[in-house]
Amino acid sequence: MATDSDGQMCVYKDTLLAGLWRENPVLRLLLGMCPTLAVTAAVKPAFTMGMCVIFVLVCSNVMVSLMRDRLKPHLRILMFTLTIATFVTIADLLLKAFQPEMSDALGPYVPLIIVNCAIIARAEACASKNPVLLSIIDALGMGAGFTLALCVLAGIREVLGTGKFFEIQVMPEAFVPWAALSMPVGAFLALGFLLGLVALITQKRS
Amino acid sequence: MRSIRHFFEQSWLLIVASFFFGLLIAITNAALSPRIEQNRISKLNELAGGLLPEATVFTAVTESIEITALDGKRQTVPVYRAETNSRTVGWVFQVVGSGFADMIELVVAVDAEFQTIAGFDVLSSNETPGFGDQIKGSYYRDQFKGAPTDGLTLVKTGDATAIDSEIVAITGATVSSVAVVRAIDHYLPQVKTQLQQKGLIGNGN
Repeated sequence: MATDSDGQMCVYKDTLLAGLWRENPVLRLLLGMCPTLAVTAAVKPAFTMGMCVIFVLVCSNVMVSLMRDRLKPHLRILMFTLTIATFVTIADLLLKAFQPEMSDALGPYVPLIIVNCAIIARAEACASKNPVLLSIIDALGMGAGFTLALCVLAGIREVLGTGKFFEIQVMPEAFVPWAALSMPVGAFLALGFLLGLVALITQKRS
Repeated sequence: MRSIRHFFEQSWLLIVASFFFGLLIAITNAALSPRIEQNRISKLNELAGGLLPEATVFTAVTESIEITALDGKRQTVPVYRAETNSRTVGWVFQVVGSGFADMIELVVAVDAEFQTIAGFDVLSSNETPGFGDQIKGSYYRDQFKGAPTDGLTLVKTGDATAIDSEIVAITGATVSSVAVVRAIDHYLPQVKTQLQQKGLIGNGN
């Protein structure tokens, strides 16, 4: 029995860590690129977006996992989308009620979580085949990986683009902000360099 | 009969889930909508309060103020009366213009007689950071304070500190500068005429 539960723990740990690095949705699988490029001009909106994605991922994974035995194969994508859309709408309403400033800053990108591939990919690859607990752990790992990647990218762009971090001035007065990094072009450049760096690290490791 | 049975066998989960999720959204919406509406009102009040500091209450005008928007469509403009001790000190209304990348929503405040602009603030915009979004900055916004309501003109160079109908554009952000002036110029006379027609303000003679 002991080895059984040990093996189970190992699976949980592995699932949790997979989302953070090995199968990181943004840096390794290149899923969910739209919010990655659009809301990473500053750390605060990026972090809020990450939290919304974690909420939607956990809720949709739980729902999909609960109905996994009753899913008709040809209706499954429809069921996933319905589930995800419901929780995204709820997340949007929560944000409007409790974080109106962030809701304004994120604009249409919160409703657009519905079409974020990272979420439907987890419903298809994990939740529709695994029990609830494992699906939750998978959602937390993937969500954390997504949030982390967004915050790293946003951190680079905010510090160099405005001289601030989390809206607090960190660069010396003499620093001239690289305004281009706050613009869409900066998102592509910073993401490109970040992906290059990640590829370099993984190559060195193997 | 068989086809109906087949239909339900295949789709019962979808039907049940749709009802369940619909209910879930309805409950969340019912629970949160008063708070969301409150947030919207307080944001508008906060912006309007900054433009007309002497005003203590902003009440929505019950008469419908309908104007032609920039795209030619008829549109109802939300207008608010700013009051101090039940004396009208100004008017606040919402303006929508098309900016460089997206629509720009503004809150414009004018004095009680609709003679001068008290100022404007940006409710929502998506202008380029570092360039177009300087329409939120004091250099540009302060030029509107005290400007006449009968037509503004945008100039590339000039004295930005002078209180007149000339608004000096932001360097490198001409499109955004033009958008704000055009939108305000378009809405002001129409809202003024409407308010005069409804007898809410004098006709200026």
